[in-house]
Amino acid sequence: MDDHTNARQLNRRTFLKTAGAVAGTAALGLPTLLRAQAPTVKIGVITPVTGPLAEVGQLQRLGAQMAVEAINAAGGIKSMGGAKLDLILADTETKHDVARTEMERVINAGAQLVMGGFHSGSVSAMAPVAQQRRVPYIIDISAADAPTHSVAQAVREGKQKVQYVYRIFPSSSIFGKLAVKYMTEIFRETKTSPKRVVVTYTNDAFGKPQAASFVEAAKAANPGWEIVEVIPYPEDAKDLSTEVSRMKALKPDVISPVTRPATAILLLQELAKQRVDLMGIISPGAPGLYEPRQREILRENIEYVMDSTIWHNVKSPRAQKIEEEHIKRTGGKNLGAEAGYGYEAILVMADVLERSKSADPDAIVDAIKKTNFTGGIMMSTGPIRFNEFGDNPNAATAMIQILKNKPIVVWPKDAAQAQVVFPRPKV
Amino acid sequence: MDLTLVGQGLLNGILFGGVYSLMAVGLSLIFGVMRVVNFAHGDMMVWGMYVALVLAERAGIDPYLSFVICAALIFLLGALVQRTLVQQIVEAPHAMQILLMLGVALVLENVALVIFGPDPQRVQSPLTMATLWFGPFFVDMARLATFGVAILLTALLYLFLFRTMLGKMIRAAADNNYGALVIGTDVNRVYVVAFGIGAACVGAAGALVSAFLPFQPASGLSASITSFNIVIIGGMGSLIGAFFGGLIVSIAESMGAVFLSPSLKEIVSFSLLILILLFRPAGLFGRRMT
Repeated sequence: MDDHTNARQLNRRTFLKTAGAVAGTAALGLPTLLRAQAPTVKIGVITPVTGPLAEVGQLQRLGAQMAVEAINAAGGIKSMGGAKLDLILADTETKHDVARTEMERVINAGAQLVMGGFHSGSVSAMAPVAQQRRVPYIIDISAADAPTHSVAQAVREGKQKVQYVYRIFPSSSIFGKLAVKYMTEIFRETKTSPKRVVVTYTNDAFGKPQAASFVEAAKAANPGWEIVEVIPYPEDAKDLSTEVSRMKALKPDVISPVTRPATAILLLQELAKQRVDLMGIISPGAPGLYEPRQREILRENIEYVMDSTIWHNVKSPRAQKIEEEHIKRTGGKNLGAEAGYGYEAILVMADVLERSKSADPDAIVDAIKKTNFTGGIMMSTGPIRFNEFGDNPNAATAMIQILKNKPIVVWPKDAAQAQVVFPRPKV
Repeated sequence: MDLTLVGQGLLNGILFGGVYSLMAVGLSLIFGVMRVVNFAHGDMMVWGMYVALVLAERAGIDPYLSFVICAALIFLLGALVQRTLVQQIVEAPHAMQILLMLGVALVLENVALVIFGPDPQRVQSPLTMATLWFGPFFVDMARLATFGVAILLTALLYLFLFRTMLGKMIRAAADNNYGALVIGTDVNRVYVVAFGIGAACVGAAGALVSAFLPFQPASGLSASITSFNIVIIGGMGSLIGAFFGGLIVSIAESMGAVFLSPSLKEIVSFSLLILILLFRPAGLFGRRMT
């Protein structure tokens, strides 16, 4: 992993040690330098490996590493003489200021392309650096619209020449629209008519726009059900009992939560404890509602929960193979958004580099703009492309449901692995 | 306003307050005796939770029984930290103490990350999902049990401090450590014991909430800040203050969630902090320090 050695004080002993190491490396390294002709492309992977989002950030990094191993094993970037991809790993510590300095550090270390971020707040801090330093940044995970949209706007208004920030992940507005669409279709399919939906969300840079886009999409679609109340809670909530009492008092048919893993446990156990009588719990897209440890902890309290979230394309053989490897390397975790999009970002970068034939930032950006990549492994409504905002309009979600303690794709219908269960059976 | 909701919010606040109290009592004891702010307090709590998790999953011991073992182990951790690190900086300026304790917090957090991984955890107990209903009101049994044990532990600590020789020595060292030294108290030993007991309190609190509060290695900092807030409101170094401070903060947050937007509930407790600092800087139960 990365190290922060510059703060260390120099004394005679460390100096001798370092000098020895440098001499040793030089002696070993020189012949390889002379021999190795195939260039490498350096890719910065900046993820939250420690701090509250460590779990997802580590998976995101793993996805990138798996993809790089696969691409290098298959001969690297062919149009660049078999150039190998080389990752520069960095840790945001789930802190946005650290995310920004790590972005700087990774670029100083020679990164020619950058991915990562995860938390929308971190991505917002990282995107301007990529833009200033002219390093193409492909956001693999982060739903808030702002990072790409604000750059696109600056380019439109002539304040910036080139857009270096792109995103393959569905933006918040796609999440919201698809969640409303899937819910409405599921209600029609199951001949049910829930009326009252209560939205609750973790009040941070991810939860707030995610909930807002859902509320907005529901208003615009006028789907026959109504969002009666929106209840935010603090990201590090230690107790949600009063919030749940408040939700209960609203007599909702469906609760739509935008959670993070720890608060998802708190929320689901509290809903069960207070015996809130619901037809279902359907999230417009959030982590914490399908991961193996969450299922193990929550057991019957997570059964029938639905999440309109990122999933790999269960019908793609390639995605299935990657999932098998993922399960092996994580001790049983399904291929979800984190490693899935981490993997996909590297696939897109490799495709871009094959076409740009060079690591020059503007050549890369030209190639990014012309992307029409069909080899993706995640759920989508078409090939990966980038629109006028730098977003991928074909990125999509799937409705998954926990059935017999397993996450199963239940909607859209043509991708479904099993019949959706709604309303959930009474206990 | 829905009166049931207000009543339920009050009840939830009181029951959760027991946890806050126990967290704060430990911090207050350490501060009262050594004038050291233990910023690793929340991380010690998280370690109490992980010990409870290991005991539940490996040995099948319910956290409502294993909290005794957790308290004992975190006592040892606290005593070790005191003996090896805190002892060196008891006389140092506060800024240095805080840096050291933040360092300890970082080490504890990241060791937990390496050993247990980043996933959120929760300990399974029969009480986890148990509730008792009285008409429209419900009592969360896990929180009730935690509340009861927290009160019991605080009372025992009080008895220990006022009725035993060692307790009297701790109080003497807290009052005037030079004076205590003069009359033959082994002040350094008293410090080790006091820090250990403070850590044990928060370790027990960790075990007692582990059945209903999900935790991750990174959960410590916010627990430290909450404890610190409570201790200032109750009065630095006052055990009674920490106890009632815990209840007050918990009720205030719960009422905040009823009357305001729940995401603003922490504003309520921190506004309370500012008010106390403005009008009663020694805290509700604190003695005026010169």
